[in-house]
Amino acid sequence: MIILRTLWISGTAVVLSLLWSLPLAYLLSRKPGLAKIMVPVFDALIGVPTVLIGLVLYMLFSSRGPLGFLGLLYTPYAIIIGEAILVTPLITSTTYHVLNNVINTYGELALTLGATDKQAMMVALREGLPGVLASTAMAFSRASGELGIALMVGGNIKGYTRVMTTAIALEVSRGEFESAIMLGVVLVIIVVSTSIAIRFLQRKVYG
Amino acid sequence: MAIEFSNVWYRYPGSRKWVLSSVDVGFDESRIYVVFGPNGSGKTTLLKIASLIYRPARGKVFAWGYDYWGLPNSKRIELRRRIVYVHEKPILFKGTVEYNIAYGLMIRGLDRHEALVKARVLLEKLGLSYLADKKTNGLSAGEAQLVAILRAIVLEPRILVLDEPFAHLDSSKRDKIMELVLELRENGTGVVIASHDVFLAKAIAERVIVVENGKVLKPD
Repeated sequence: MIILRTLWISGTAVVLSLLWSLPLAYLLSRKPGLAKIMVPVFDALIGVPTVLIGLVLYMLFSSRGPLGFLGLLYTPYAIIIGEAILVTPLITSTTYHVLNNVINTYGELALTLGATDKQAMMVALREGLPGVLASTAMAFSRASGELGIALMVGGNIKGYTRVMTTAIALEVSRGEFESAIMLGVVLVIIVVSTSIAIRFLQRKVYG
Repeated sequence: MAIEFSNVWYRYPGSRKWVLSSVDVGFDESRIYVVFGPNGSGKTTLLKIASLIYRPARGKVFAWGYDYWGLPNSKRIELRRRIVYVHEKPILFKGTVEYNIAYGLMIRGLDRHEALVKARVLLEKLGLSYLADKKTNGLSAGEAQLVAILRAIVLEPRILVLDEPFAHLDSSKRDKIMELVLELRENGTGVVIASHDVFLAKAIAERVIVVENGKVLKPD
C-alpha cells in the first residue's frame, strides 16, 4: 500500500505541476526577454531544500495559518501540493531548454518548408516531446524521493500519508535498518523503472 | 523583383547589436545569386530574411510586389511557400529519407501516399533510390545535406535559398548539386547560394552580393 500511495501522490503532484509548468516553459521560450530573467531564477530554485517548502506550507496550512480553513494539513493533498511546487522549477527549466532548442531548429525548419505558424509549433512540440517526457521522469524521481515535505505537511500517518521516504525515516529511527534498506531498494527500483519505461516509450514512438 | 529589401535592419531578439544594417538588395527568379562573405558577416541572417522567416526590425521586405510583413497571415503563407530555405547544417526529421523528402508536401496538404510517391520519383530521377528507405540517423553528412536539398527541390519553389550547400559534400555530390542548381535555373527558379568560397562565386554566380559586417557592399 505504501508503494501505491507513493506512486499516487508523486504521480499526481507531477501531473498537477505539468498543468502550469508546460505553459510557463512555452511562454518563456516565446519571450526571450522574460526568459533571460526568469530561467536563471528557476534554475536556482531546482535545488531548493524540501524542508523549506515543507515549513512554508506547514505555516500556511496549520490551523492558525491563512489557509488553515482548508483543512489540508496532514493529508495526502498537502503532500501533493508541496511536491507539485517542488518540481515546478525542474520541469519549467528543463522543458524551456528543450522547447527553446526545438522551436529554433524544427519550428524554423517547418516554416522553411511552408508550414503555417500553428503547424510549425506542432512540429516543434512533437520533436520536443521526448525531452518533455525525460523532464517528467526526472520530476517524478525528485517528487517520490523527497522527505521534507511529506514529513512536515503529511505527518507520516500510517495508512493515510505514509509514503516510502517517511517510512524509511521511521524504520531508521526504530533501528530497523533491514526494513529501511529494503524500502530504499524498492524506491530506487521504482525510480529507475520509470526512467526506463519512458526511454522505451520514446524509442517506440520516435524510433 | 521577386524579393526586394528596402533599407532593412536586423538584430536578434534581446540583443542590441545590429546584425544587418541598411540593406537594399533584391533577388529574382531564373537567376543564380551567390551571397559572398566571411563567416559571421550576416549572410545567413540576410538569407533568412529573404526567405521570409525573419522579420526585419526596421525597413521593408517586398515579396512579389507585396509589403510582406504588412500582409494578413493567409497571404503571407501563400507567398512564403514560393521560397524554400535550406539550412547550412541539414536538419532532418527522424524516419526515412523518403518521408523527409515528402514532409514539405504533406505539410502543404498533399495526400501522404502521393507525397511519398513524388519523393520516390525524385530520388529515382537522380539515381538515389537506394537512399529512399534509409533512416536519416544513418546518413553521412553529405547524404544528409543532399536529402535536405532534395526536400526543398521537391516543393518546386520559385526561389531556392541554399546556405553554404557545399560545406559537407564530396566532389561527386557537389557536382550533382551544381547540376541540379543549373537545371532549376533553366526551369525558371531563382537560386540564392550563400558561400565564403570565392571560386564558387565566380564559377556559377550570375550576380554576386558581397556582405561584410552586416552591410551589402556590392548590390547588383
